[in-house]
Amino acid sequence: MGSRQITEKSLVMLRSLPRLSLANIRDNPGSKKNTKRGRGQHGGDKHGAGNKGSGQRQNYMRLGYETGNNPFYLRMPHEPYYKGHHHRREYPPISLLEIQKLIDTDLIDITQPIDIASIVKSGLYNFFPDKKHFGINLTDEGVDSFAAKINIEVQWASEQVIAAIEKNGGVITTAYYDPHSLFLLKNPKKFFESGQAIPRRMIPPADVIEYYTSAETRGYLADPEKISQERFRLSQKYGYELPNIENDQCYTMLCERKDPRQIFHGLEPGWVVNLKDKCILKPKDDELLQFYAS
Amino acid sequence: MNICLRNKFTRLNLVSNFHRFSTTVPEIEQNEQVLIDDTEDLLAKEEEIRKKRNTSRLAKAHYNLVNGRRPYEEPNCLAHLTVKYNRKMYGKYGVASGVNPSLCWPTKKEIEEKKEFEAVAFPYTIRQVMDATAEKRREEQLRIEQRDIEVATKVAKLEQWKKELNDKVAKKAAEVLAAKQKKERLVEEVRRHFGFTLDPKDERFKEVLAKREKEQKKLEKQARMEAKEKMMIAKLQQKSGEISEKS
Repeated sequence: MGSRQITEKSLVMLRSLPRLSLANIRDNPGSKKNTKRGRGQHGGDKHGAGNKGSGQRQNYMRLGYETGNNPFYLRMPHEPYYKGHHHRREYPPISLLEIQKLIDTDLIDITQPIDIASIVKSGLYNFFPDKKHFGINLTDEGVDSFAAKINIEVQWASEQVIAAIEKNGGVITTAYYDPHSLFLLKNPKKFFESGQAIPRRMIPPADVIEYYTSAETRGYLADPEKISQERFRLSQKYGYELPNIENDQCYTMLCERKDPRQIFHGLEPGWVVNLKDKCILKPKDDELLQFYAS
Repeated sequence: MNICLRNKFTRLNLVSNFHRFSTTVPEIEQNEQVLIDDTEDLLAKEEEIRKKRNTSRLAKAHYNLVNGRRPYEEPNCLAHLTVKYNRKMYGKYGVASGVNPSLCWPTKKEIEEKKEFEAVAFPYTIRQVMDATAEKRREEQLRIEQRDIEVATKVAKLEQWKKELNDKVAKKAAEVLAAKQKKERLVEEVRRHFGFTLDPKDERFKEVLAKREKEQKKLEKQARMEAKEKMMIAKLQQKSGEISEKS
């Protein structure tokens, strides 16, 4: 009897209460922080700064300072494993798997030669020439599942990567771009809107000249004869049959290469591209022609 | 006059409105007669209407920007006189910007400067750099090979040197052992002389030891002399033998 009365009574109480809504709920504890600092005799006290020392005075010591101790970061002897690391060239990587993904999702057009500009245009790769990034390092992740016939130009590639691309009947070139050219390739629109003539690409520095002139790495300055020899040698090494490019229907596309002085595919140094008028202006002055041809 | 003109204007506006919506080219021959009368006035009127229609309250430059025109027709500050700005205007707004596109290329002086910079920044041609690096690599290879040869010759001699060293050490040890045994023998002899064990620090012991040592030395000297004499005699005999053989 008693319990029934209690139930009814509580139900009545519950019915008389207002509905639960945003208007009558309390904030979570600790969710509101007073932005004002207390004043007065005991209003603020230490204002959360603690008692005594540099904490209270809020004159924090510099990072790593240990109040007179020999600091930790100076306690070890000098170990120069990474000496000069901030001066070295970097090649931010992109893997074959990612390239395959870009091709499968139609972010890269493989009927045209692929270079760093087209990879950046896909939106899934970025690099920063001002941070000593010198272009793409094509890595061998997904080397077994790669199955596209492409004419690609990267800045660094390993032997396996070269083999994987050539096995599928493609062509790879490693090419050097100076930082200025890389800025142009990263954002061509910005450059064209600045209304300047396309400059020439500069020659690689001495420490990578070997890489970009050797046929094993498919350097852009290597002898084409030697490259074809190396293509054959690599196919022998990895045990695949080298597809014959000469009989391919996209032979002309696969044979397209940039000039060592050229930055954009199809655009020569010295030309001015106007996007508004959709026109290309070519210089006719002999001195200009000579300068841009050198 | 104004009133009657206005009337004509309204008509014109109406016609132009029709023009906007019609798909065929309207015949405006009749109107041309009217337009010839006072074109300037008409244009001014049109301009005024256009101005009134522009309720954006944007600054002129911003209004231009929004409508895809270059912001300033006249140079407004020093920066607007620079080549860079004018190139930019051409790049962005094309021929409509009114900039001579010949500005886009460097001048003769700039070309000279660029050439000078490149002569300093890239003093060597690709072929020269290639040759220099090849030379460097060859030298490095040569250095490594020479070092390899050096190490190989030394390794070949290693066994011999090890043997020599071991022999030297063994010889030294043997000498030390012999000296020690000799000394022990002497001490034993002295003990035998006294007939009992005596402290080696004792005066008497030392005396006898010195004596014994002296005797030993004498004996050794004698032995040496005898051996020398023997050698001499042998030599003489040999010589005499040789002489007799010759004669």
